[in-house]
Amino acid sequence: MKLEIEHLSKHYTGNQFPAIDDISFSLANQEILSFVGPSGCGKTTTLRLIAGLEYPDQGLIRLNNQLMNSENTFIPPEKRKIGMVFQDHALFPHLTVFDNIAFGLRKISSAEKRKRVEEMLNLVGVQPLARRYPHALSGGERQRVALARALAPSPVLLLMDEPFSSLDAHLRLEVREQVRNILKSSHSTVIFVTHDQEEALFMGDRLAVFNNGKIEQIGFPENIFHVSETRFVAAFMGDSDFVRGEITPNGVITELGLLEQEHHFSSGIQVEIAVRADDIDFQLHEYGNGKIIKRFFRGAFNFYRIQLDSGAIVHVFKLHTEIYDTGKRVHTCFNAGHPLKIFEC
Amino acid sequence: MFKVESLHGHRFFKKIQTPKIAYLAGVVALFAIIPIFYILIRAASGDPELWQRLIQTRLLKLLSNTLLLVFTVTLGTTFLGVSMAWLTERTDLPGRRIFRWLLALPLAFPPYIGAIIHLAFLRPRGGLLPLWTEQITGLAINFPYPTGFWGAAFVLVIFSFPYVFLLSGSALRSLNASFDEASRMLGRTPWQTFWQTTLPTIRPGITAGALLVSLDILAEYGTVALLRFETFSSAIFVQLAGRYDRSAAAILSGVLIILALIILLGEFKMQGRAYFTQIDSHWRPAKLFRLGKYRLIGFLAVFFTVMVSLIIPLSLLLYWSLQGMFEQNFGLSGMQIGSKGLESFVFNSIWSSGLAAFLAVFLSLPIAFYAVRHSGKISRLFSNMSQVGYAIPGVVVALSLVMLVNRFLPFMYATSLVVVMAYVVRYIPQAVRASESALRQLSSSLEDAARLLQRNSLQTFLQVTFPLILPGLLAGSALVFLSSLKELPATLLLRPAGFETLAVRVWIWSEEGFYHQAAPAALLLVLIAIIPLFFLLRREAIFKK
Amino acid sequence: MLNKFMPILMVLVLFISACTTKTPASVSDVLSEYETMNPTGKLVVYSGRSEPLIQPVISAFQAKYPQVEVLLKSGSNSQMANTLLEEKTNPQADVFITTEIFTAHALSQAGIFQSYEPPGYNDLPDTYKAADASWIGLTQRMRVIIYNKDLVSQEDLPDSIFDMVDPKWKGQIAAAGSTNASMQAQIASMIQLVGLERTEEWLKGLQENEVTFFGGHSDVRKAVGAGEFKLGLVNHYYYYLQLAEGSNVGIIYPDQNPGEIGIISNATTAAVINGSQNLTAAKAFVNFLVSAEGQKIFAEGNYEYPLLKGIALHPDLEAPDGLVQAKIDLEQVVNRFDETFDLIEMVNLP
Repeated sequence: MKLEIEHLSKHYTGNQFPAIDDISFSLANQEILSFVGPSGCGKTTTLRLIAGLEYPDQGLIRLNNQLMNSENTFIPPEKRKIGMVFQDHALFPHLTVFDNIAFGLRKISSAEKRKRVEEMLNLVGVQPLARRYPHALSGGERQRVALARALAPSPVLLLMDEPFSSLDAHLRLEVREQVRNILKSSHSTVIFVTHDQEEALFMGDRLAVFNNGKIEQIGFPENIFHVSETRFVAAFMGDSDFVRGEITPNGVITELGLLEQEHHFSSGIQVEIAVRADDIDFQLHEYGNGKIIKRFFRGAFNFYRIQLDSGAIVHVFKLHTEIYDTGKRVHTCFNAGHPLKIFEC
Repeated sequence: MFKVESLHGHRFFKKIQTPKIAYLAGVVALFAIIPIFYILIRAASGDPELWQRLIQTRLLKLLSNTLLLVFTVTLGTTFLGVSMAWLTERTDLPGRRIFRWLLALPLAFPPYIGAIIHLAFLRPRGGLLPLWTEQITGLAINFPYPTGFWGAAFVLVIFSFPYVFLLSGSALRSLNASFDEASRMLGRTPWQTFWQTTLPTIRPGITAGALLVSLDILAEYGTVALLRFETFSSAIFVQLAGRYDRSAAAILSGVLIILALIILLGEFKMQGRAYFTQIDSHWRPAKLFRLGKYRLIGFLAVFFTVMVSLIIPLSLLLYWSLQGMFEQNFGLSGMQIGSKGLESFVFNSIWSSGLAAFLAVFLSLPIAFYAVRHSGKISRLFSNMSQVGYAIPGVVVALSLVMLVNRFLPFMYATSLVVVMAYVVRYIPQAVRASESALRQLSSSLEDAARLLQRNSLQTFLQVTFPLILPGLLAGSALVFLSSLKELPATLLLRPAGFETLAVRVWIWSEEGFYHQAAPAALLLVLIAIIPLFFLLRREAIFKK
Repeated sequence: MLNKFMPILMVLVLFISACTTKTPASVSDVLSEYETMNPTGKLVVYSGRSEPLIQPVISAFQAKYPQVEVLLKSGSNSQMANTLLEEKTNPQADVFITTEIFTAHALSQAGIFQSYEPPGYNDLPDTYKAADASWIGLTQRMRVIIYNKDLVSQEDLPDSIFDMVDPKWKGQIAAAGSTNASMQAQIASMIQLVGLERTEEWLKGLQENEVTFFGGHSDVRKAVGAGEFKLGLVNHYYYYLQLAEGSNVGIIYPDQNPGEIGIISNATTAAVINGSQNLTAAKAFVNFLVSAEGQKIFAEGNYEYPLLKGIALHPDLEAPDGLVQAKIDLEQVVNRFDETFDLIEMVNLP
């Protein structure tokens, strides 16, 4: 394992709750791990602890089997050989692109330095910009230079702290694909922090979902998406709506009908079922159990928002040919084809 | 506005209206540049024999003296200012919040008051320091001579460093934490980070500030005269005071102006290069540097600076004032000159500086407007022209105004308005910078919105623009007020009989050795000066959490 | 009814005004004396004398004529002279007071002053007044050497100002710098007395002897009084002022031996400005300066030698009769005044 984190905790004085509460995970060589979660959930703090920019209260960080912190030692950030790309790129304004990238290269000859910088310039595709200053670059270019600068000294681990959040949406899509390719082609081991779940799913080989200082779930994107282990992960990552129900000997009684499915809850427990827009269906029905309140046209299909009589909101996909007016009463029912995730209330 | 010659014509004829503000701005810019122009012409048309004589006798010595002083003091103020700023902004120094205020307060002292204190302490065989050490220890230590180059350099550094201190403090505060952290991640220790990342980023802003300090030193008269170190400024003054024709003074002034203009151009360049150190959306304040075992040294360094630049001068002035009041039993009547007493000095100081502040800001508005809202070559030219006041020392302003006013505006001659004029010419650059900065922060769409809501230009200005830029304008006027209050050489030369300001009184009384009269006047001057200074410091948000 | 009398009234008025414009000399004398006894308005005084030395007499004048507002502008002799020259076509001042006669003479030649003979004019010595009464001397001052009695014994006392270049006094002498008018006047006088070369030698010798040059004589006398220096080159009254403060100082009247140049002396002067806006007050002021009252203030307050005949010296003051004074040709000095400044510049006198 490249990176091992054991029982890491950090509590800022003055805050009621710890920023990070007993976090453990490991990262394999050349793997990209995405940290995702809402703001303030601890992902950036974890990153900064790994970088050495903060001191942990408890726990161990092991990088390449070397202990970064312990009772009586703490390896400062400049000695950890970790590369970091910041949210605001933090390119040194008084240096050219070339010099920025060369900044981390030390104790090598200038010929070697030049060679490496050129390599990096090529890698991220900014060769023509080598002599420019940061203020003369576009947002996307700056971020790529920041990446090149972090990668130039061949760091053991690369940390990326919401690197695309300062770019506008359309640019973001383009840049992140380029960046993922760069990361893969350079065989980097990366921790990538974002608050955007789509980005996390795209960038990461694995995902760690953070909430309130804890990792709720860590695993492959598909697992996270499909097999959400906690309600939070389902809600945050899974594009799910929730339907309430009660456990009975036959299944789960809900507004949408009975869901016959294997579960491990005892009778009488109140639960929530995570449903996606393709897990349920509706038909127009005079009496139904809900009504259409909005229709979103999405090109190949329509995306309907249904308000059930209980007040709960669910969403349903329909083919683009199926067009129904808002306000119409509908009958909604389960149509999953695979087991749905059930969480205790 | 858009005239079409003919539909099938060879070209479209576009008539671009010059905004009316441009003319106003042009007039003010011209006003700012005429004094300097006049001097340069007088200098250039001077008798070549006079030129030769000056070159043979004084010019080289003056040049070397002046440049040496400027260089040393600029270096000293930069070193002291930046280190004090770093200690109070980026470390965990105890009491740093109070020190931030205290380190800025010496700006209320005109440097020549510092010279007086300096002399009082270090006069060989008579100064306070030798006396006390002899009393306490019985040793007669040879303290360094207070006069000459080192004395002048020391005093000027002590009373000029706050300017660089404030600038660096502001720059250090606005630095984003991620620069430091990026540098650390790329292998630099905290100490290396300071030198290789932090300093280079703030360097242009600091250099610009240091260059302005050097312009001040170039213009400095009182201190170098008292401490008997001859520079261009004091030589010109002596020429004006000791000669019956103005030509030699004009020539020396011409050389001085060229020197100053070169420095000013350098400062322009530095300003242009000032990097963006603050990225608003993701700004995080940088972590404080833990001094650890160096805490004591750091504290002592700051404490010592505050003592020398603020506490000791104030205490001595207070001591002299009290001594004068009780032991020598003189009252306000001892401070009469002609029919005029202390109240008139205070009144004159305040109203002339106040009027100058108002006029400077008022006149700066057309230039600021033209430069910010109609940015272009000409508007930039006018803006730059308005900055030449930095390059004209007070002595030279006085010389040029005397010649100009006498010739072209005789009715104004020998009135106190000429003194106000001198202040405006000299300090309007400060007002222009403040006004431009205030306007730049105001989005022009506000004004456009007002226009679309049926307000004409004047109404837009009065109802929308003015209220919003008012704080910035007040800051500009506070700056001009403070500078005018402390001004010495131009006031000395231009004042009509019966018009005395506190600055002039302090100077004349000190020259005569009448410290017991000079001290209370100096105290009053400092106390009055603290008011605009306080206002400026508060605005800087330096001192907010 | 008034209409009838109007023409008669007008004729009467005209007649009376005609009479008053052609009053006989004695009546106009009486009138002008009456006028000068009742000056009003603003009196602008330019003073080359330092304020503390002119302020007492101004205060006394003000006490006598409280309705006059005295506006004083002081500076160096030459600075005020320059100002007066600048203002020639637009005069602002009423009275000019200098600390030496050369400036006064130069300005008089330039037509800055107007002639005025105050009461007592004839009791003033000819050497210290303009031939055309354009300026008059007020008090005499002599260039002397002040010394600290604790530090210098009688045997070591220098005889002549030329002794001051003797290396035994190295670093022990204080003097006023080249911006001081009395110092300038001394140098000008020396150029006329012993020639340019010898004066240059003397000045260079002073510098080599590490003489400390102060801005003004007050600093010099205080420094000598405090024991910071053994000798000081000052105007005589500074010695007495320092003595009055309790310092143990002594005075040397230099160059008294046969063949030596004698004491260099000068005078403070007063003059009425040509084109003065308030002639009445100006004359009243000059009258006061030369009156017994005014002269007494100079004598008693400042230890100066009043030029008006019959005014008592300060009891502590040494009478000037026994002293050998240098013979200075006023015209010559003034014509060569530029040389003084050139010399000062050339030797770089601080």
